[in-house]
Amino acid sequence: MIRIKLKIKFIPYEKTCNDNFKDLLKDLQKDTIILIDAKLKPEQEAELIKKTMEKVSEKFSGIELSSIDISPEKDSTLFEKLRGFVFQLTTGKRRGMTVIGPAHIITKIEKNPEELMLYV
Amino acid sequence: MLSSISGIHRHIRNTFNALLSKIFKKKPDMKLGLYGPVNAGKTTLANRICLDWLGEELGKASVIPHETREIQIKEKVTMNHNGKSLNFNLVDTPGIATKIDFEDFLKYGMKKKESKQRAKEATKGVIESIKWLDKMDLVLVVIDSTQDPINQVNITLLGNLDARKTPVIIVGNKIDLKKSNLKRVREAFPQYEVIGISAKNDKNMKELYAQLFKKL
Ligand SMILES: Nc1nc2c(ncn2[C@@H]2O[C@H](COP(=O)(O)OP(=O)(O)OP(=O)(O)O)[C@@H](O)[C@H]2O)c(=O)[nH]1
Ligand SMILES: [Mg+2]
Repeated sequence: MIRIKLKIKFIPYEKTCNDNFKDLLKDLQKDTIILIDAKLKPEQEAELIKKTMEKVSEKFSGIELSSIDISPEKDSTLFEKLRGFVFQLTTGKRRGMTVIGPAHIITKIEKNPEELMLYV
Repeated sequence: MLSSISGIHRHIRNTFNALLSKIFKKKPDMKLGLYGPVNAGKTTLANRICLDWLGEELGKASVIPHETREIQIKEKVTMNHNGKSLNFNLVDTPGIATKIDFEDFLKYGMKKKESKQRAKEATKGVIESIKWLDKMDLVLVVIDSTQDPINQVNITLLGNLDARKTPVIIVGNKIDLKKSNLKRVREAFPQYEVIGISAKNDKNMKELYAQLFKKL
């Protein structure tokens, strides 16, 4: 039986924003899968793709990323909605999570919408 | 003498045109961008539009991914529809990707050196495409309708255009193929206009042009 070891590292949302994905990309180049405790803003996703492209080389082909979005609009009950809005207002974060993997390890991520399927 | 008359003539015409565009509040250099994942058919669509309205093509389409690696612009395209006309610059962009593996190009019979060069140019192309998003007045997000529409490139693209309040039409391309599934595209992005076309086989282009006139 073949066993595969995967390293998953948690990076708080605030930290990814502060250093403009610098450390995150270093980790990704060291075969680490990254988990962020929020959904990135579209502008941040675009920035991350740009920064990734700058790092692409023969050894590092890029990333696979996907996120689960628990936006306040999508929450079911009024209370949940309210909680989501308050969370976004007070923390500036979008509720949800983001998974980013090095493309040579994670070949595909399927989104389903509350589940993520990672293909190794 | 003759040249000065034509100069005056040109001057009057230019002033008149400037006045017209002011009256109609239309920017003279409106940009219509074609965006989307690699291989979706952006250049094929750009060529179709240019053939229809200019009688000439814009760029090279190819089965090999990342064929377009630099922004391509066709200036002053004029479209006519029901007595109205539309002027814009058509911008074909390099396909956006989150990964580029030079070894993928080897499968198409490319040499190693050539593949590495293509990959390098492709990464720059992706960065350019993203940088140019700010300049667009209207964007056609071109999606290969035979593929799963919920991919990160589409999501990031639509999210960014939405944040910029740029008008968007989703073009579900390749409807000539059996595996094409427009319903899946519509279900993935219910808040958008989705037009199914075949850029290659010239299918449903009229509907796309009509939609363009509606948006602008
Ligand atoms: N069957 C079918 N194939 C198409 C259609 N449109 C484009 N293609 C094919 O899809 C492939 C990619 O087309 P391109 O126009 O080069 O795609 P692109 O989006 O410009 O690709 P990049 O520039 O690499 O990002 C080519 O082999 C085209 O012939 C279509 O409507 N139907
Ligand atoms: Mg192209």
